[in-house]
Amino acid sequence: MRIFNPTFGMAAAGGPAVSLKPVNWATDAIALISNSKPNARELLEGMRERLGATRKIDNIEFHAKNSASQPAPKDLIEAVAKKYRAALLALGD
Amino acid sequence: MIATETFKPLVLAQAKARKIEPKLIVVKHPVGGLNAEELRERIDTATKGLIEATGK
Amino acid sequence: MKDIAEQEVIDIGDMDVEAFNELAAEQGWSDGMPLYVPTEEKVAKFVETVRGDNRPYPPVPPRQIVPTLQSMAANAVMAGCKPEYFPVVAAALRSTLDPEFNLHGTLATTHSCAPMVMVSGPIRQELGINCGSNCFGQGWRSNATIGRALGLMLLNIAGAKPGEMDRSTQGNPAKYTFCFGENQEENPWTPYHVQRGFAATDNVVTVMSGEGPHNLNDHGSTTGDGLLTTFAGGMANPGANTIYGKGPMFVIIGPEHAATLKRDGFTIESIRDELYVRSRVHLSRISKGNLDTYESTGHKPEGDWLRIARNPQDIHITVAGGPGKHSAFIPSFGGTAVTCTRIG
Repeated sequence: MRIFNPTFGMAAAGGPAVSLKPVNWATDAIALISNSKPNARELLEGMRERLGATRKIDNIEFHAKNSASQPAPKDLIEAVAKKYRAALLALGD
Repeated sequence: MIATETFKPLVLAQAKARKIEPKLIVVKHPVGGLNAEELRERIDTATKGLIEATGK
Repeated sequence: MKDIAEQEVIDIGDMDVEAFNELAAEQGWSDGMPLYVPTEEKVAKFVETVRGDNRPYPPVPPRQIVPTLQSMAANAVMAGCKPEYFPVVAAALRSTLDPEFNLHGTLATTHSCAPMVMVSGPIRQELGINCGSNCFGQGWRSNATIGRALGLMLLNIAGAKPGEMDRSTQGNPAKYTFCFGENQEENPWTPYHVQRGFAATDNVVTVMSGEGPHNLNDHGSTTGDGLLTTFAGGMANPGANTIYGKGPMFVIIGPEHAATLKRDGFTIESIRDELYVRSRVHLSRISKGNLDTYESTGHKPEGDWLRIARNPQDIHITVAGGPGKHSAFIPSFGGTAVTCTRIG
């Protein structure tokens, strides 16, 4: 007997390949992005403060999704990609 | 990306679906609902993880 | 058997139903209840019912694969659907793929939400979909299996495996199945699908990622105004997701409550307006920590009150159920939309 696989599907076409530039974590601008769940921002704030012991932190900046339940808006993703070399995302669950 | 150990499988499953390999720093679960003192341990772990991952 | 996940068609030899169910459990295809076997012959009968609908399906998140009609039909067969139910099932899946529905968020969340499926139009009678007494409950094959088929598609095609992609803290019995019909015949106003711009003769499926129905019992009120006081009080729930992540909600009015409201001159619009104004939570019922969270996401109190809805349009109204003095409030996940799709 032959059955159809209930999980079968075609792979979606992938997005364009992204080439990542090397990051200098000692000096480069870093985006701290919270998923807007409670304590995600506090976690990132604590990390930023600790990083201050070894590097300047005035170019480490906070961002957040509008809602924990929805994807990050495209303009936020684009703005972060344009301005920063690295991003730290925190999932506060 | 910083996620709790409980949510690591979700991050990995979604990364696999998008054919990407996330740079993941794992902390104990939960993060939400912790008071400032409890959260300090997560901050220490995450910072240590970041420093190890970036070599800085 | 090798690389079962990659194969569209799988030869299972002369396996009986029990052995197939063991295989399905092992592969993670099951919702825990017994499944029918999705043989090539059965799947072909289902696919035949949607021939002519050539609109492609987008990739289904979170797994991001494009389903085939055969893989969708395999889930409907496993759920116990009859072939003629499949166009409703297919439309329900398509409805969840509207970007505004936010399928990824609704499946990966820790919230208990499950897809509510409501069917409107003449197809309700053709398929025997229960719109009356016990419409959210057991006893009707079409209600039971259409909702179940969508749940299985979200498990197997979307990849919402409990504990992995589906991170719900407690889940919800509606994740097994939640499908009902509008009681258009006892709706004294406009049927829901017509409110949404469809013709009365259209067959339409509406989906919302929601909690289970919260009962709104009112045996005492003899006026529409009294009923709305009860409805608003039941909606003003500090633990429902609509106060946390703002979004739509349904108030499904029982026919007897609807008749009273109609008699007293209420319309869909005036009910929405009244419920928007009255369904609010006093700050004394909200902890400081929770209020801080709401305020940080832009949900600020007005005086000493927090509203449940962002605007009257967040409150979706229709009629379903049978005799009795009960209605229901169904809050959504929050970051989602109520989406409608024409069947066929």
